[in-house]
Amino acid sequence: MLRATLKGMASRKARLVLTSLAVVLGTMFVAAAMILTATMEKSVTGVIADAFTDVDAVVSSADDPAAAQGNTPSATLIPADVLETVAGVDGVEAADGDVTGQVNAIGDDGKLVGAFAPTIGFNWTDADTGFNEIREGRGPEADNEVIVSARFVSDAGLGLGDTVTAYSYTADRAEYEIVGVFGLSGDRDSLAGETQMGFTTTAAQRLLTQGEDAYMAIYVDGDVSTDAIAEAVGPDYRVRTGEEASEEAAQGFAVVADIMGYIFLGFGLVAVFVSVFLIINTFTIIVAQRQRELALLRAIGAARGQVVGSVLAEAVVIGVIASIVGLGLGVLLGWGLSQLVSSTVMGGLPVQLQVPATALGALAVGIGVTVLSAIIPAVKASGVPPVAAMRDAVNPPKPLRGITIAGIAVTAVGGVLVALGLTDNLGDLGLGGFLTGVGIAFVGITLLTPILSRPLVALLGSVMSWTFEGRLGKLNAGRNPRRTAITASALMIAVALVTGIATLVSSFKATTEELTDQNLESDLIVMGQQGANIPTFSRETLAEIKALPDAAAVGDLYGELFGAEVDDEPTTLYASEDLATSLAVFSGTVAEGSVDDLPDDGLAVNESAAEDRGLALGDTVQVAFADNTTAQLEIAAILDDSQLTDGWWVAPAQIEHFTVPKPMQAYIQVAEGADIAAVEDEVDSILADEPEVNVTNNAEFVEQQTGQLDVLLASVQILLALAIIIAIIGVVNTLVLSVLERTRELGLLRAVGMTRGQARRMITVESVIICLFGAVLGIAVGIGLGWTVQRALEEEGLTSFALPWALIVSYLVAAVAVGLLAAIAPAARAAKLNVLSAIAYE
Amino acid sequence: MPLSTPPAPQSVQQSRGLQQRSRAAVTATGLWRAYGSGEAQVVALRDVSVAFASGQFTAIMGPSGSGKSTLMHCLAGLDTTDRGSVDIGGTVITGLGDKALTKLRRDKIGFIFQQFNLLPTLTAEENILLPASIAGAKADPAWISQIIRTLDLQERLSHKPTELSGGQQQRVACARALATRPEVVFADEPTGNLDTRSSGEVLRFLRKSVDDFGQTIVMVTHDPSAAAYADRVVFLADGQIVRDLDRPTADSVIDTMRGFENRVPLAGEAA
Repeated sequence: MLRATLKGMASRKARLVLTSLAVVLGTMFVAAAMILTATMEKSVTGVIADAFTDVDAVVSSADDPAAAQGNTPSATLIPADVLETVAGVDGVEAADGDVTGQVNAIGDDGKLVGAFAPTIGFNWTDADTGFNEIREGRGPEADNEVIVSARFVSDAGLGLGDTVTAYSYTADRAEYEIVGVFGLSGDRDSLAGETQMGFTTTAAQRLLTQGEDAYMAIYVDGDVSTDAIAEAVGPDYRVRTGEEASEEAAQGFAVVADIMGYIFLGFGLVAVFVSVFLIINTFTIIVAQRQRELALLRAIGAARGQVVGSVLAEAVVIGVIASIVGLGLGVLLGWGLSQLVSSTVMGGLPVQLQVPATALGALAVGIGVTVLSAIIPAVKASGVPPVAAMRDAVNPPKPLRGITIAGIAVTAVGGVLVALGLTDNLGDLGLGGFLTGVGIAFVGITLLTPILSRPLVALLGSVMSWTFEGRLGKLNAGRNPRRTAITASALMIAVALVTGIATLVSSFKATTEELTDQNLESDLIVMGQQGANIPTFSRETLAEIKALPDAAAVGDLYGELFGAEVDDEPTTLYASEDLATSLAVFSGTVAEGSVDDLPDDGLAVNESAAEDRGLALGDTVQVAFADNTTAQLEIAAILDDSQLTDGWWVAPAQIEHFTVPKPMQAYIQVAEGADIAAVEDEVDSILADEPEVNVTNNAEFVEQQTGQLDVLLASVQILLALAIIIAIIGVVNTLVLSVLERTRELGLLRAVGMTRGQARRMITVESVIICLFGAVLGIAVGIGLGWTVQRALEEEGLTSFALPWALIVSYLVAAVAVGLLAAIAPAARAAKLNVLSAIAYE
Repeated sequence: MPLSTPPAPQSVQQSRGLQQRSRAAVTATGLWRAYGSGEAQVVALRDVSVAFASGQFTAIMGPSGSGKSTLMHCLAGLDTTDRGSVDIGGTVITGLGDKALTKLRRDKIGFIFQQFNLLPTLTAEENILLPASIAGAKADPAWISQIIRTLDLQERLSHKPTELSGGQQQRVACARALATRPEVVFADEPTGNLDTRSSGEVLRFLRKSVDDFGQTIVMVTHDPSAAAYADRVVFLADGQIVRDLDRPTADSVIDTMRGFENRVPLAGEAA
């Protein structure tokens, strides 16, 4: 039986290659995702482990394990006396206090160094010389000296002997002389694209701890147990071995690779999901082709199980070969992607290719999906009655009742979850429940595609019925709703995902435009692109802008985006030097109380935020600032809800408690009659010495805000392209099956005078209708998806809903193109049909 | 295109059709057709020359493998010939390209097959109009309704083939074959799948279309009682015409078959 199976497969090479391709693609992406993640993790871990080679223990604050990485501005500090305690523990040979955090440096061009990767400032100690290698000069000896990383030199355009200006959120600008350049071990310029500056401990503390003699972490060298140190420093501190600290640090760096890994895993899983439909269809074709052969086998005594086994054996062979090829290609793709990530994001990190055991999971996925998808056609094949060997293959379409009822039920469950999520009735489940609902509804709609295909195919087909062969094509497309639906599903899923995201993007654009046009009274905006830093500028610059004669009104914005709390709940705080003017610029209005001359202990908050916490005008709340001061503030004004002014506003006097006590944004309303462009130039010259921000007009602002989304959208469309390849294969398979099953009909049509061209067009119309059906359904589902998510995000500020018309039209055009492309081979087959053998029945 | 004028067989003169009998609707001259090559070669037609007079109902008979179906396929332009020529209504079809042949089948030939005559997606009426629809032409409504009346299909026009009995389906196929007023209708075992009653209806209609409308019909059959409806029976054996019988009856057909083959086909007994 197995030999018969293998021989049969050899005679169906083309179809098997096509089916295998879908399995190959799916396996490839899943494997590549796993390999990328593992490889980057391994590579990063290797590098970080180097850095921790001589570290036997790390002491950090118990509150804030992230402090060891120095990425949190509000890192909980370790006072200097703890360092002394640690140094005094038996067995400790050396204990170095580490001061690390983000700093800003101004490059040769007057702009911030490293806009997208952070500039890390730290205290340069002797311990640093093991992992870091001085290439030129020496380490800093005076507080106005700095040693910089090689990446800093190339990014800033500054070198040995030059003077560089550096500052931080909390420290004003100061000049430092570059006295040395260092590289990282392994002759690298950077760990992950960051730039580094090594200061003296005093200078680092001035920049990062507001001058306090304190540290973010203590690195211990010596033959000593972590328990001994922990006992000495007490429960306020966390003590880890160097290895543990190394692993945790590596996790932080591997996040980028993880995100990319997830994206590719997503691509892979979509490809696998779509492949399921394709494989089911292919095996249905194979079974149809072999119907007589299988019936004959049954007639001469093969058991049903043997027939199932023969079809499944074929699936196993396909699954194994395709998955192995996919895994191999996945290793290549994963290696290439790792190189790409390493060179673009990770600063030339040497890649150590790592094929994790989980990548073999991709192999299992590929084989499993192939075999499972083949089960339904295999069981059907075993049901072929022996007499079918003497009859012609006639497959009457099955009734759609069962699948439709299931589809309605599943869609309803998903819909209810979505509705509950939208109306905030899911409680703690919230977003998770909502997304699960969306997923369930998706599956439900897929089950409903066969019943939906009837009216939709008829409708779409009527557009193409102006020729007789077009009409026949339309009728053929509607003949087997299950098959049409399963074929169109591949396209539907991809188009739905992309349309959903495109709808969200266009809604976001519309929201931004609407806010800018309707709510923003200003003409010019001063702000920076948020990259690694929160861009700010100085109070003096703000004062200069406000003093411009043509600036009728200037709204300003300070923000505490980190560790502030209102009544023990983490809360973002805002402040403005002149809240009344700022509200006017943002079209905000006061519901109760007054914001004129907000007292130092006064607070303004929007209506719904106050309502959420059961607060009213005159109530007092406790505000804890990031600098560990607290204040009792009284609600002096309730603001009407308005997107630009929602939030908690404190008085200007409280700004000094903010992590970054500098203005983040300014909104300039130009005086009536003044030339906006001229004012923009004036502001621009005022900003000459502000590396982090620039001035834009409203149109540029909208473009800036939405530009990044276009990049996101473009990358998501790759997913569509991938699914299109699989969809084409699926459509080709289905059409070949149709041509095969309707050989006699085609023969009859050709006998009574249908030309080859007409036969070709008839198949092409069928193909285009199937593809359009998939695209139209996908667009509808995608719009629904986008709409529900927009509703869910409405409270987060996504207030407008807009359809991406241009993209929708282009998807429809793409669907027609896919249809035309997929029809080429099957249509040629139909046209070449030998009329005589098609109608002969002896 | 030069008109080929082959010698008309003697039998053509003796038709009992109503209209002009002298003109041949279909003429085959010296047809050869072989399949396969070398040892496995089977010669299906050996130098067959035959003419079918316009307005005459001719049956082609012969045992399995005698070449009767091959002859019909060659006459209808469905199969190619190795040698010889076929003329339909003044057009030599041998050597024509696919396009010309397709157009010829559409405009000048009607087909009735044993089964799979109808498109399952179309109604009976749409099936009747199929050749005209394919041609993008409008069928003559008076003519169509006359055929439909004659075949008693008025009540069935909106039905799909699956909703029709075998006999009804075959009557729809007859209507389709005649709808374009073709030069000739080729019927390949049109009653092979039907019961006696339905067979009778179909054959009476074919007879009537010859008598009343002057239609030319060439029918392949192995059933002597079906052949008895024809004006003339051409017998084939081993790829050659072995007998040409005018005004056949079921008995004379059976006798003739006994004459050249010591065996009577089983189907003949049923008549």
